[in-house]
Amino acid sequence: MKHFSRSLFVGVALCALTLAAPALRAATPADQLVIGTSLAQVLSLDPQQATEAKANEIMSNLYDRLVASTPDGKIVPQLAESWQVDDKGITFKLRDATFASGNPVTSKDVAYSLGRLLKLDQAAAANLKRVGYTKDNIDQLVKAVDDKTVRIDLSGEVTSELLLYRLAMVVASVVDSVEVQKHVANDDYGNAWLRTHSAGSGPFTLNRWTPNELVILDANKDYVSGAPKMRRVIVRHVPESQVERLMLERGDIDIASALTASDLATFDNKKGFEIQRVPTGGFYVLSMNAGNKYLSNPKVREAIAYGIDYKGIEKTIMGPYGRARTVPVPENFEYAIPSPDWHLDVAKAKELLAEAGFKDGFTVNLKTIAQTPRIDLATAIQASLAQIGIKVDIQQGNGSDIIAAHRARNFDLLIPQTGSYMPNVLGAMEQFASNPDNSLEANNAGNFVWRSAWDIPELTALTAKASLERDPKRRGELYVEMQKMFVDQKPAVLPMFERFEPIVLNDKVHGYVGHPNQTTRLEAVTKAETD
Amino acid sequence: MKELSVKELARRVTHLAVSLFILLCVTFVIGRILPADPVGAIVGELADPTAYAAMRQKLGLDLPIYQQFLIYLNGLAHGDFGTAVLTGNPVSSDLAQAFPATFELATLAILISTFVGVPLGLTAALFRDTFIDKIARIVALVGHSIPVFWFGIVGLVIFYAGLNWVGGPGRVDVFYEGMVTPQTGLLLVDSLLQGETEIFWNAAGHIILPAVILAYAAMAYITRMTRSFTLEQLSQDYVIAARAKGVGPARTVIGHVLPNIAVQLITILAISYGGLLEGAVVTEIVFSWPGIGQYMTNALMIGDMNAVVAATIIIGFIFMFLNFLADIAYAIFDPRTREAAQ
Repeated sequence: MKHFSRSLFVGVALCALTLAAPALRAATPADQLVIGTSLAQVLSLDPQQATEAKANEIMSNLYDRLVASTPDGKIVPQLAESWQVDDKGITFKLRDATFASGNPVTSKDVAYSLGRLLKLDQAAAANLKRVGYTKDNIDQLVKAVDDKTVRIDLSGEVTSELLLYRLAMVVASVVDSVEVQKHVANDDYGNAWLRTHSAGSGPFTLNRWTPNELVILDANKDYVSGAPKMRRVIVRHVPESQVERLMLERGDIDIASALTASDLATFDNKKGFEIQRVPTGGFYVLSMNAGNKYLSNPKVREAIAYGIDYKGIEKTIMGPYGRARTVPVPENFEYAIPSPDWHLDVAKAKELLAEAGFKDGFTVNLKTIAQTPRIDLATAIQASLAQIGIKVDIQQGNGSDIIAAHRARNFDLLIPQTGSYMPNVLGAMEQFASNPDNSLEANNAGNFVWRSAWDIPELTALTAKASLERDPKRRGELYVEMQKMFVDQKPAVLPMFERFEPIVLNDKVHGYVGHPNQTTRLEAVTKAETD
Repeated sequence: MKELSVKELARRVTHLAVSLFILLCVTFVIGRILPADPVGAIVGELADPTAYAAMRQKLGLDLPIYQQFLIYLNGLAHGDFGTAVLTGNPVSSDLAQAFPATFELATLAILISTFVGVPLGLTAALFRDTFIDKIARIVALVGHSIPVFWFGIVGLVIFYAGLNWVGGPGRVDVFYEGMVTPQTGLLLVDSLLQGETEIFWNAAGHIILPAVILAYAAMAYITRMTRSFTLEQLSQDYVIAARAKGVGPARTVIGHVLPNIAVQLITILAISYGGLLEGAVVTEIVFSWPGIGQYMTNALMIGDMNAVVAATIIIGFIFMFLNFLADIAYAIFDPRTREAAQ
């Protein structure tokens, strides 16, 4: 019914819009930026808890980190004025910033925040835990030397260069320890309070967050680098893409994200609007459960890799959302190898299936979140695998039930998406290439590869080795080796398309540069009439 | 009147309570056996199993379902609907925030559908099989068969994006957000109380389209029912007698028919009002309306069952309570019941 209604809608919409073309245009005030998006996944605005992309975008404007990464991947100072790297760790000098509360930002706040991250111990902690920082050792490894100097020792499982990238993530935001500690209840490190309040030194403060309705950010006039240009930023929850499109067209919102492909297409070359295709460094992935009797066979996995029409799907479905790529490292990254020769080749795929002993094919299920463009992607994969004799039953669901099935290894095929936290091979590839313990008992549901039951001890060891290699040249060689080994093993977590987040902006908006890690800062954004 | 004694009232109240309890049980059980994963939603997709297990325990989801239910009932007895995963607030305070938005929308919708639907139904019956009747029937049929979702979007395309007659999604333009302090929670009322007439008119511009669209389906039903009740009355002796005495059609309807179908109408309106509160779910999604429907849908998406169960119970309660009131009204006001009682 919904689909029927949508196609009918498009027709009526076009007619109505053509008729009413010169209609009045309302506009948001020039000193307020209004962003329309879906806030459905935003469950917290505590930087040491939330990891969801939309929450990141908001929190990266409420808080500063020691360092930040630029959209093209360089590490730049934020709260740290400078830093010194030695064999054992990094010493940061802090600049003279203050929190929105008026409290000065001190090294104690930095130590408190990193400790808080690991002690709260939720998904946000994963990136530091993965390299050996734990709630037990964090207080020894992070020390306030004096008020403006903080020392972070290496854990022994990461190089300082890679640690800097992790410190540039929103999870490493520095919170106002004096303020947060006033709100601690039941040893929760102030979590219940900080979910809905802000205690940062960033360019904005949180005025209000009403889940699934809106977030209002107020400019922090005392921001250390000067007050932001916008007096307020309003992020509005608009769950329906078509409605969001209308609001953007009418000027009630300035920036729209989470639009469906067809709504995006209406802004192609449309006067007054600009489409930005923000790279994420992540992928749309076909996860195959290697615990399944068919999919455990590398030949079957290879047959599937030859059974997908990457180019066709890229053209007809992915559009602004993705680019065909079967190595889990974006093509433009240093040391990225070319994609292997996987392309739709029905004869070869059938031959591989026959070699594996499944000449007559078989039936598997494919689970996916019912969301653009994953649902269309699933249908296309179903059609193309049918040609090689694999019958696919699609089961769609909402985020929580599909993720639960993924965590429980309860699927045959599944389409998840990934992101990259640093713009290098390791940042993009880490979650595809490390699975320390594949046993069921390990229950390592937080590990992307474990969820596919794909046992890769050699690749895991190589990944660990690359994270510790300090010599850039040698590290580059390891990066190449990792990618080749990944391809050779016929991955059970098959990257298919490099993932982009398309957004549409009213061209009055200037200075908005979408950040690959969803840490887009808004302090320099301005609005001005151009026509 | 005597028959609607304390005893009868008690029977009906018991009936209401039992129905609610069954609704509660069913919703609770469905909620817990759904494969949704609120824990994953809170701790994050990549959280490790210890953090996951700790949160699961904190939410009490590791207990057997009957124990969870007993704990829930115990909380309910103390007026506690549990904590919402989505907001971390008590569900009751979330609902107190979301409900007025739905209430405001549905109330305006029922007013519109009554003030349009009843006269339209009366007129259609009076001019049976004429042009007017046909129009009324088509209007009713369309309202009955087109999905609200589609209607909402088309309405926005035409009246908001195209003609610029009404405000867009949301209760008020974004830059007015947060300028009125909620007192009753009803934005139209609060803005007037606080003398913010500009915001009042802005809010009125925003509510009119969703209210009309929501009202339309109910109006269709009200028109059809009013028409058929009226037709039934028109063939009664007293109407024929009145008309034979030379009473005009308008007076016949207003003076004779309307009082006689009033009780039936009350029932229909009560049912429609309950239906509107339910129908608000879809309307609220289309119009980004921060009411109970949108709250419930989002809660369902992340498997936040405390919120879903509570919202279901509230809507269910209102629905049943309205029916209950309609029944009572019947018993009190229907002349036939009254005569029988005497």
